[in-house]
This record gives sequence, structure tokens and C-alpha cells, in this order.
Amino acid sequence: MSWVQTLNFPFMQHALIAIFFAGIAFPIIGVFVLSLNLIPLRFAMMHVALLGGAIGLFLKVDPLLSGLLFCILSSMALGPISEKMKLGVGILSGYFMTLTLALAFILIYKADIHVLQAFNILWGNILSLSGLDLLFVIGISLIILSIVILFFKEIQAILYDREIALAVGLPEKFFYYLIIFMLGLTIAVSMRLIGALLIDAFVLLPAMAATLISRSLKQTFFFSSLFGLLSGMAGLYFSFVFDIPTSSTIILVASLIIAGCFLFRRGGIPS
Amino acid sequence: MHHSIELKDVYVRLGHVSVLEGVDIEAKPYEFISVVGANGAGKTTLLKVVNGTLRPFKGQVSVLGHDLFQFKNLDFLRRDIGLVPQKSNSNRFPILVEEAVLIGRYGKIGFMQRPKEVDWDKAYEAMKIAGISQFSKKLVHELSGGERQKVALARALAQEPSILLLDEPTTYLDSKSQSEIMETIHTIHHQRGLTTLLVSHDSRLVEQYSDKIYLLKEGKGYLIK
Ligand SMILES: Nc1ncnc2c1ncn2[C@@H]1O[C@H](COP(=O)(O)OP(=O)(O)OP(=O)(O)O)[C@@H](O)[C@H]1O
Ligand SMILES: [Mg+2]
Repeated sequence: MSWVQTLNFPFMQHALIAIFFAGIAFPIIGVFVLSLNLIPLRFAMMHVALLGGAIGLFLKVDPLLSGLLFCILSSMALGPISEKMKLGVGILSGYFMTLTLALAFILIYKADIHVLQAFNILWGNILSLSGLDLLFVIGISLIILSIVILFFKEIQAILYDREIALAVGLPEKFFYYLIIFMLGLTIAVSMRLIGALLIDAFVLLPAMAATLISRSLKQTFFFSSLFGLLSGMAGLYFSFVFDIPTSSTIILVASLIIAGCFLFRRGGIPS
Repeated sequence: MHHSIELKDVYVRLGHVSVLEGVDIEAKPYEFISVVGANGAGKTTLLKVVNGTLRPFKGQVSVLGHDLFQFKNLDFLRRDIGLVPQKSNSNRFPILVEEAVLIGRYGKIGFMQRPKEVDWDKAYEAMKIAGISQFSKKLVHELSGGERQKVALARALAQEPSILLLDEPTTYLDSKSQSEIMETIHTIHHQRGLTTLLVSHDSRLVEQYSDKIYLLKEGKGYLIK
């Protein structure tokens, strides 16, 4: 069967549409993660999503929905809690991560969940997206894009320096929590697309590549979306041509792009 | 007339450390006040109290006639307070100097509005005053520590505040630029009719510019000039 023929299948169309939206929108979240040092937080969220998924399997409800719900709840709670406890989000994330992972394993064990099913949470499957999955991906992508366009200056100031954003009179806390919240949503949905373990294919890798060659935030957003789209589409294509797992192929392409950007680097990675 | 900045019997505790223990400091409108003190005396803490990012557990703080304890959200007040922080951000975030200065305008531009021509003009004027016009198209993280400090000053000026808070604005500067920047700050202070609160460990540097000088020591403020 040729590549073009596969496009007649609804599952393939779903995958293409999902990659189109996620590829453009999700790397923007990656730029947030890199600039605000949210790497431990996004790691914790991945595990929260995993726990949510496990609970879904346990209760026999859609693991995407329960994962999403968990991410929403925890992403709304994490910012304010770390503020109240005067702990860094990083430290709190480590705590959340190990705790949720332990709980998820207990659930998966106790519920006697089929190994393959559990595996599905970890790996996701972009070729088996339902209409509802698709709706989530498109909805969240549009939310991310419109927030970035409408509030570009607030986001730019906060990514540059939270202290300064606050000092010039911007509602810094509100936007910081909003960013964490969007991160939670994105992770929950990417879990379904490419799985909890490979979320960074869409979120982090294109953003890393973009920061290597950009000289402004607009450029960073533009290139990260471009690379996200490129690696998603190319990944889907090559996975068919060579008959290898889609998620891993997307990661491979994204890694190649990073290597390419590294050679052409002009700017730098936010540290 | 409302006093521009007034701290009365202010107590601040950070963790288990008691940093301010009954500080009284007052800056009338258009005054240039300096607070000097050793490392760890609580100077940065004091500025955080004034711009409302740190809430004392006891005492009174009034800024531009507003009692800070009366408000939950102080964004409106911060728009009128320019802050030049002690530490300049050292991350490699990609932003041009002119954009970093323009951020000073952001609080005043309003939600979902883009910077306008006048905002850019004010950013450019501020860069000129701070002496960094030639860097406008450079990335901030490509600048030296002293140049970055001037970016912070330019940002605070672009904001057109009524109050200017300066936290060791000359730390990274060589001695020639130190007196240059102090002159600049002093001139702007008069031209724009600002109320200025500068904190520094160096009392000799601020002596000739200050209307009043406080010494911050062991949690208390002493008027020494
Ligand atoms: N987050 C914090 N938690 C606990 N203690 C703190 C915290 N921040 C500052 N301190 C302590 O408060 C005291 C005052 O700190 P502050 O930064 O205000 O001093 P400073 O006068 O600005 O010093 P420097 O001249 O070094 O800038 C110091 O002893 C410091 O160790
Ligand atoms: Mg200090």
C-alpha cells in the first residue's frame, strides 16, 4: 500500500490533523518550559498524567479523560501550593513525581490491568485517535496559539524575567499560573498522541532546536512551531515508509533537526 | 500633602531570620534618599517592601499616599514605581536591548494592546539617557554586567514612574561609569521630578547626591544625613 493510499483511512486523517495542530502549538509550551526552567515540573506533570490514566483504567473510564482531569487539577494546584509553601516548583515537582508514579504502579498492579493497556499510556498511539481526542488536540492548540498572540507582551516579559514583569506592573502571577496550566493540558493530551514517555518530541525538542538559532522570542516561537510541524509530518511519513513506530520516528527527526540547528547556531539555549 | 514613601516601625522576617526590626524611613515628594548598609543589612529587602513584593508582618507602609496593606493587588502602584534590581538576569533568553527596555512600558500599555509609536520613542529616549543607544539591536545576554545594569536603568526610565528605586545601580560599573551614572540619575531625578530611593553599600558614592541618608544596621534605620 502506498503512502498516498493510506490517506484515505480516517485514522490516518486523524493522525495528520492531530500532528498538524500539535506540531504547531505544543512546541510553544516547550519554549515556556525552557525559558522558565519548568523541566522538573513538566516531568512531574507527565507522571501525574500517568497516574490519571492509571486511575482511568482502574475505574474503567477513558484514561485520556482521567489523565486530562488530573493534569488540570494538579496544574492549577502546583503554582499556588509552591508559592504558599515557599518551595521551589522544582522541589515540589520531585515530590509529586515520585508519589504519583508509586500510586500509578500500585493501581496498575492491583487493577490487574493488561500490560499492553498500561503500555498504551506510556506510548500513546497516534494512529488510533478518536474524534474526541482530536477535538481536544485542536481545542487546546487553538487556546495556546490565541493566548500567545493576544498576550505576547505579557508572556515575553515573564519569560524574560518574572521579577521584572512583576515590577513593571504586569499581572505576573496570573500569567505564570496560566502557563503552568497550559503545560498541564498539553501534557495530558500529548500523552494520548505519543505517550507519556515521548511527550518531549512535541513539547521540548522543537523548542530546543528553535532556541539554538533564534534572536527574538517571535523567531523562537516561529521556528519551534515550524520544527514541530516538520518533525511530526516527516515522522509520520517515515514511520510508514520504514515500518517503525511513529512516536520514535518523530523523536528521531526532531533530534536530527536539533543537531542541524546546533551546527548553524547563532543564538543560545536559555540556561 | 502625601509623603511619597513612608515606612513606620516595619518588621520583616525571612524564614527564621529577622531582617527588619522596626524601620522608620521617609522620603518626601521629589527627595533623593539613600539607604546605606553592609551586605545582608536588608537593603534589597527594604526595596521589596516599598514596591509591595514583600509584606511586612508588622508596621505601616505608605507609598504615593496609598496604604499598601489596604490592597490585595498592587499592580496599579508598581506601574508608577521604577525598579532597577541589584541582580541582572543572566539567562540566555533571546531579547534585544530595545525590547528589554520597552518592557518598562508594558504595564502601562494595557491588556491585549501592542506597544505604540510613543512607547518606542520613550524606550529610545531612555536608552539615550542611559547611554546604551548603540546596543539597541544587540541581545541582552551579549552585554557585560555593567551594560546590562544600564539596560535596567533605561527600562525603569522608559516606565516614566513617579518613584525610582535603585538597588546598587553601580555595582558592575567601573569608577568612571559609576560617577557618570550617578550624575545621570541625579539629573533625571530633578528633570522629571522623581522621588528617588537608592540603596548602596557605598556611602561615599551617594553622599553628594542625597538629600537624606539612612544607615541600615541590625534591622533598624538611622538617619545619618
Ligand atoms: N529568601 C530568604 N530567606 C531567608 N533569608 C533571606 C532571604 N533573602 C534574604 N535573606 C536574608 O536577609 C538578610 C537581608 O538580605 P538583603 O538581600 O535584603 O540584604 P542586602 O542589604 O541587600 O545585602 P547586599 O548588600 O548583599 O545586597 C540577609 O541576611 C539574607 O541572608
Ligand atoms: Mg541587596
